[in-house]
Amino acid sequence: MDPLPLPQKDQLVTAMETTAKPGTAKSGGGAPIQETALRNEEPARSSQSSVGPATPRVAIAVDDTRQARAITSVKAQVENLNFYYGQNRALKNLSIPIADKQVTALIGPSGCGKSTFLRCFNRMHDLQPDTRYEGSITLHPDNLNLVGSGIDPIEVRMRIGMVFQKPNPFPKTIFENVAYGLRLRGVRSRATLAEEVEKALRGAALWDEVKDRLQDSALALSGGQMQRLCIARALATKPEILLFDEPTSALDPIATAKIEELISTLRDQVTVLIVTHNMQQAARVSDYTAFMYLGELIEFDEAAKIFTNPSKKATEDYITGRYG
Amino acid sequence: MAQLPDPVEGHIAKAFDAALSDLRLQIVSMGGLVIDQVSAAVRALLDGDATVAELVLSREHTVNELERFVDREAFQLIALHQPMASDLRMAKAVSRITIELERAGDEAKKIAKFAARLATGEPQGPVLAVSPYLRHMAELTNGMLRDAVRSLDESDAEMARAVRARDSELDHEFAAALRQIMSLAMQDARFLGATIDTVFALKGLERIGDHAKNIAEQVEFVASGEDVRHKAKHAEAGTPEK
Repeated sequence: MDPLPLPQKDQLVTAMETTAKPGTAKSGGGAPIQETALRNEEPARSSQSSVGPATPRVAIAVDDTRQARAITSVKAQVENLNFYYGQNRALKNLSIPIADKQVTALIGPSGCGKSTFLRCFNRMHDLQPDTRYEGSITLHPDNLNLVGSGIDPIEVRMRIGMVFQKPNPFPKTIFENVAYGLRLRGVRSRATLAEEVEKALRGAALWDEVKDRLQDSALALSGGQMQRLCIARALATKPEILLFDEPTSALDPIATAKIEELISTLRDQVTVLIVTHNMQQAARVSDYTAFMYLGELIEFDEAAKIFTNPSKKATEDYITGRYG
Repeated sequence: MAQLPDPVEGHIAKAFDAALSDLRLQIVSMGGLVIDQVSAAVRALLDGDATVAELVLSREHTVNELERFVDREAFQLIALHQPMASDLRMAKAVSRITIELERAGDEAKKIAKFAARLATGEPQGPVLAVSPYLRHMAELTNGMLRDAVRSLDESDAEMARAVRARDSELDHEFAAALRQIMSLAMQDARFLGATIDTVFALKGLERIGDHAKNIAEQVEFVASGEDVRHKAKHAEAGTPEK
């Protein structure tokens, strides 16, 4: 969230003649009150008033003009996307901009098509017979239509990473799990592999926990660590978009919090698209949220708008638990 | 019993930490402005300074905007981060404290309006008659407000309790000022309008003390989870709390 500019304390003429010593212990990490004793910079008045100074040095301006944040950079543009399982039309004319280096969450009741939509991005449906795409998902900046008929799904999957609901590390060592994608891409240098593996594990906030046991089996890790390993594995190949399909539904609350924090930090390096059935999670991690129902997009907006004042009654009913 | 691991510093979600910290900073900034409004308004009254009175009136809008802004931030924090326990109490308290600060700012505005009228010819006798009380009450209210906001910033429940305790001193001072001004009114009824305005100014300061006390109660609620509102009143009256 872009915070509104805060009134600066040094712009305030406050009467808070605090005697707090610098470095006063804080709870909760709040900014300390600085020594804001009023400096009466006006010439002394003749009056004997002792109720404090009066004239401000700088007026405080409150910027109350927060506008809905427009997407300034689009990583992928979904246009009139339809998807069919045989004759069954699972997605109906979806059009959504996916903001670059932001987290976009897809929410909706079971069967609404959110996972189907997510899997279009890396052509996972191609593994099933009798499926069909219509419309386009245009990946920028090279305007590649991810669901175009002439596009190699393998190439798409090299650029779009995915993390699944259940952690699915390979039955290999921790190191080999992360190095796997790099080896597939032809990286052979041990030094480069070691460097990239460390980078990916750090990016997934797992390095400190596994750096001394990189040759241990990945299957010995906890559920949360396995999931972060899968994220590291996906990050190692430097994807442009990272897809998360309910990545924390099999994890405990602390592991979930760590994954959510990781997703929040990932937005600095990659565009994130996440499917979650947990609305609170969508509120916590996403910048933009799309609400889907029966294969249709009902509403797409900033997460702050969706979760405080959605435009559509259907969205309101769903996020307030009135149906779904 | 199994030993729980040491808690991490701050929350796992750093964005939540930042949002809470911002909220605290914003409410402290708003508190600073309101404290200055109160002290400036009383100064304008005692000095007959129309410029300072105008200044207070011109900044009233900013206080109102800060109320809206801080309240909205607290609202969004609740919606997007789902705070629990002490964090939830903090978000709820901040929402309440913005209201208290805005109302204190309103009292300052009313005093400033009276000061502006005095500067343009309204009789000054009643104000002069109770000026020591006005000065002392302003010192008390500003001290209470300042410590109430500080206690929030420093999560200092002890300081908040001390603020509550000082409210009775302010009430006594207000009662004494009323007696003084009533005796003046009985001796000389010519300045009835200015007398009433002066009573309102005194009452405004007394109300600001109440707002400071209310802020302190919220700080205690944040610190302990205990709702201390009206407890002293019940204890004084000997009535059971419901």
